[in-house]
Amino acid sequence: MRRLPVYLLLDTSGGMFGEPIQALNNALSGLISTLRTDPMALDTVWVSIITFNRIAEELIPLTEIGSFQLPEITCPQSGPRHTGRALQLLYDNATRDIIKGNENQKGDWKPLLFLFTKGAPNDKVDFVNAIPLIKSINFGAIVSCAAGYLKDEDLLKQLSENVVHLDSADTHTIKQFFKWVSDTIEQGNKSQGTGESVPLPPPPAEITLVI
Amino acid sequence: MTTVTVKSIINGNSYQFVDNGEPKSGTAKNVYFSPDRKYVVALFKDKQDFNQKERLKNIVTKYLPQIQNKEAGNYYLEEIYRWPTDIIEYKDKTGIVVPIYNGKFFFKKGYSSNDLIKGEEKNGKWFAGSKFRNKQFPLSLDQSELGKWLNYFQVCVNLSRGVKKMHQMGLSHSDLSYNNVLVDPTTGSACMIDLDGLVVPGLYPAEVIGTADFIAPEVLATKHLKKNDPNRKLPNRLTDLHALACLIYMYLLHRHPLKGGKVHDLDTEKDDLLSMGEKALFIEHPTDKSNRIKLNQLSKWELYWSDITKLPYTITGPYLKELFNKAFIEGLHNPMQRPTAEEWEIGLLKTTDLIQPCHNANCEQKWYVFDNSNSPKCPFCGTPHKGTLPVLDLYYQFKPSVWKPENHRLMVYHNQYLFQWHVNRNIARNEKLTPEQKIPVGYFTFHNNKWVLVNQKLNFLKDLTEDKLIGINQMVELTHGKRLLLSNEDGGRVVNITMANK
Repeated sequence: MRRLPVYLLLDTSGGMFGEPIQALNNALSGLISTLRTDPMALDTVWVSIITFNRIAEELIPLTEIGSFQLPEITCPQSGPRHTGRALQLLYDNATRDIIKGNENQKGDWKPLLFLFTKGAPNDKVDFVNAIPLIKSINFGAIVSCAAGYLKDEDLLKQLSENVVHLDSADTHTIKQFFKWVSDTIEQGNKSQGTGESVPLPPPPAEITLVI
Repeated sequence: MTTVTVKSIINGNSYQFVDNGEPKSGTAKNVYFSPDRKYVVALFKDKQDFNQKERLKNIVTKYLPQIQNKEAGNYYLEEIYRWPTDIIEYKDKTGIVVPIYNGKFFFKKGYSSNDLIKGEEKNGKWFAGSKFRNKQFPLSLDQSELGKWLNYFQVCVNLSRGVKKMHQMGLSHSDLSYNNVLVDPTTGSACMIDLDGLVVPGLYPAEVIGTADFIAPEVLATKHLKKNDPNRKLPNRLTDLHALACLIYMYLLHRHPLKGGKVHDLDTEKDDLLSMGEKALFIEHPTDKSNRIKLNQLSKWELYWSDITKLPYTITGPYLKELFNKAFIEGLHNPMQRPTAEEWEIGLLKTTDLIQPCHNANCEQKWYVFDNSNSPKCPFCGTPHKGTLPVLDLYYQFKPSVWKPENHRLMVYHNQYLFQWHVNRNIARNEKLTPEQKIPVGYFTFHNNKWVLVNQKLNFLKDLTEDKLIGINQMVELTHGKRLLLSNEDGGRVVNITMANK
């Protein structure tokens, strides 16, 4: 039956070394646990994790939540952040993974993309070049989360309408953000209003949402 | 952590709740427990407008006493509903006071492989789909949580009664789904929660169109129209009946009645809207087979229950087959044709009279419905029935000396009981039965190679074939073609015995 593919693109560049990477691991395992206790999510959600520093890597291929095994995410002590390469890899993977509807087969739900990054891309040209590719995939929602920096947010805004800004990359704020991610993923199974469109859930209070 | 005291806006009663900063958060409300954990205070996140408050006031001051003071009030308020009992205000937020859920609606074990959901609420979704029943699935539910097939009939009976009662009071639920029903298969219980959004047509309109999987086709098909457009269809009593039929189908067969393989549009959202709305088609439609499930496109965890050639909906027996036809064929796009909640209740109960224990000790379902064939076998594990099988057809007196069939059959199995509602047609098998009426009046047993009925409480049991009265603590043999009069009172029935599987 229809799957809801969810792609998590996670910054593992040198800037994440120390508390941020610990906080990210912690929040991510919280997210997966939440989804593993939600029967609707277990029915439809498939998750893939792509990490990026100097290189971009498919850490977990698209896997259903019920069979998901989360490894410890590590990062080097220093090194660049090649967000553009990660988007390129995401494009390749998503075009490979996502089942498109045809006359004989129902397609997957529109995929969701959550990009978590602590700074601006170091490969700006690749990043900008990858944006039209990502748009062509027709994501249901693209949410970028910028933790601890405000500079170059314009670049992220070219990728997604929703840029969430976290003041810091500590355990509490990252956890709040991932709580919001799980609310967004679980949105489709709640009661639907009589109004015309279904909005994203309101973001947690401590987060600045740039739209 | 602070304990907050709040007052009722209706009568000044005071309540307390514990605020630990992390309430249980739902779509519309934050939920806090009372210090003694006997009730919860649920605060609405959004400010409630005048109409919403009026609705809540009516739920608490008008409809609650209506249930309390009528027959079976306790059954409804203890078992079937978590009905709000009072309204409070706290820091310009409105809240409701609701009794706490019964302990049986929390997982004792949960998953078989870990404790992740131990102690969590038993949302109906866990038991509607098939994935969590598949032992190979890494997060399958423990066998001790799943219950047997017969338990799901009881779950559906309780659910049907809950809907029946609301409709009798002129209310509709408007958002019936597995999210709003807690289910405990081990005891056959179902409990309707989040009852603060009830719809009274004309008075309190629907605020939601429902939850995906349960929204009626006509509601989805007109969703694009403005709310005040005369053609726009919003939730009402008849859309509840669609949701109820879907729930019953899912609890008995663990698949969705409309989610088949037919593609209506290459865009996923549009396709989904059409296949659940305007173009909805029953996956088991007898003549239009275009929406059959494509097993090769299914999650491997769901294959067993999704194979409609092995487990067609007809395994639920002749009465429910009729009702499913009405709900998903005749009534799918014609709401007036949908079976009422009471029809479901009666059909489900009559079906339990057709149910047989499976002879295979390892059968996971343990029970199946007799299929009216001469060589019955369990559809779940394939084990054939061993030995003869007495079939009792019930007749009522139409006029003196003319007896007509009730369209009600009782299948006998070893150690099965006979009840008042079989004996007398004036006694309805429903929530209004007195404790006295729930005591068996006789039992069936296979004794010395013969099927017999032992009379425990029937004052006038007569073997019409042999023209002989059977006194209390006496027995009568069941043989092919024999007729028994169960009572000489008004409404007393005759049974005609057929021996199957000879």
